[in-house]
Amino acid sequence: MSTLTFARNKIVGIECPDENTFLAHGILEDYVYALELDVEVKLPDFKITSVHGIWKRYTTPECPKAIAKLQNAVGLHITEKEFARKIRRIVGKEGCTHFANLLLECCDGIMQLAAYGEWKELEERKVTPQRDAYLKEKFESVPGLRDSCMVYSRMGK
Amino acid sequence: MVLSYIRNKYATTVDLEDGSLLIRATLEDSFFAATVEMEVKVPDLEIASIKGEISRAFNKECQEAIPLLQRVVGLLIGSGVNRAISDLVGGSEGCPRLADLVLECIDEVILRFTLPNIRDTQSIDWEKGAEGVKEMLRKNPSMLGSCIAFAKDSPLLQWVELEK
Repeated sequence: MSTLTFARNKIVGIECPDENTFLAHGILEDYVYALELDVEVKLPDFKITSVHGIWKRYTTPECPKAIAKLQNAVGLHITEKEFARKIRRIVGKEGCTHFANLLLECCDGIMQLAAYGEWKELEERKVTPQRDAYLKEKFESVPGLRDSCMVYSRMGK
Repeated sequence: MVLSYIRNKYATTVDLEDGSLLIRATLEDSFFAATVEMEVKVPDLEIASIKGEISRAFNKECQEAIPLLQRVVGLLIGSGVNRAISDLVGGSEGCPRLADLVLECIDEVILRFTLPNIRDTQSIDWEKGAEGVKEMLRKNPSMLGSCIAFAKDSPLLQWVELEK
């Protein structure tokens, strides 16, 4: 029988308490670490306004000090260039790489919701807009979406 | 209040009978679903094969990204591999979502080999465990400076003479 030698699970759920606020809750659980995060991001500039984390399982007595480093992310815009690289440094290397990993997971989820959430709402209301027109509007309102991948780079030209 | 979005990402590693590793990473969220599966040769940690599937996406053109995965075959998991994967599979001329799943697989490989050493640290008395910390850093030199616990000014390293 083949057994797992490592496994990791990450879950992110996002609520929108009002039209300008994303609240993400993330959970990371693997063979070594377990942690949770709450992240608030506000529109229109996609700014991180609060981050709170808790450890459920960690490896050294120094790990809890990484919680304070989460505040390094407050005030950053999740759409800014090199955002992921910055988080890996100021939350990860200066704090904990696993918290940085989960924070990026939460922020990526928020970007996904910003890009496609309205489409889902329209579908639920039985309104089906034209995909190209929908994306054109989103290219204007969601920074970085236009050049984010091979398909959008082509469409955005 | 109900959720507007949900994401599940899970990755698993299995040791195969020939000693190589089989890693799978899957992302399923409200708008996208994909899986990447790779085999990694041990001990040289070379990516021997890879395949992927995008089972749900906003754009049907996303399927065009699947062949990009083959660009990582032959890469060795070590310094610079994350940048290479991002360049070869992700970015504005690739698919960052697929690249992200490949990177998740790479994390799995690293953690799979770190796990036994972390298990060993559970018996370390961190207050006076210079030998245990030294041994851990000898087996995992990349941990030095990687986080607050192993920063050069960390109390955990106060008795450890760091060699250049």
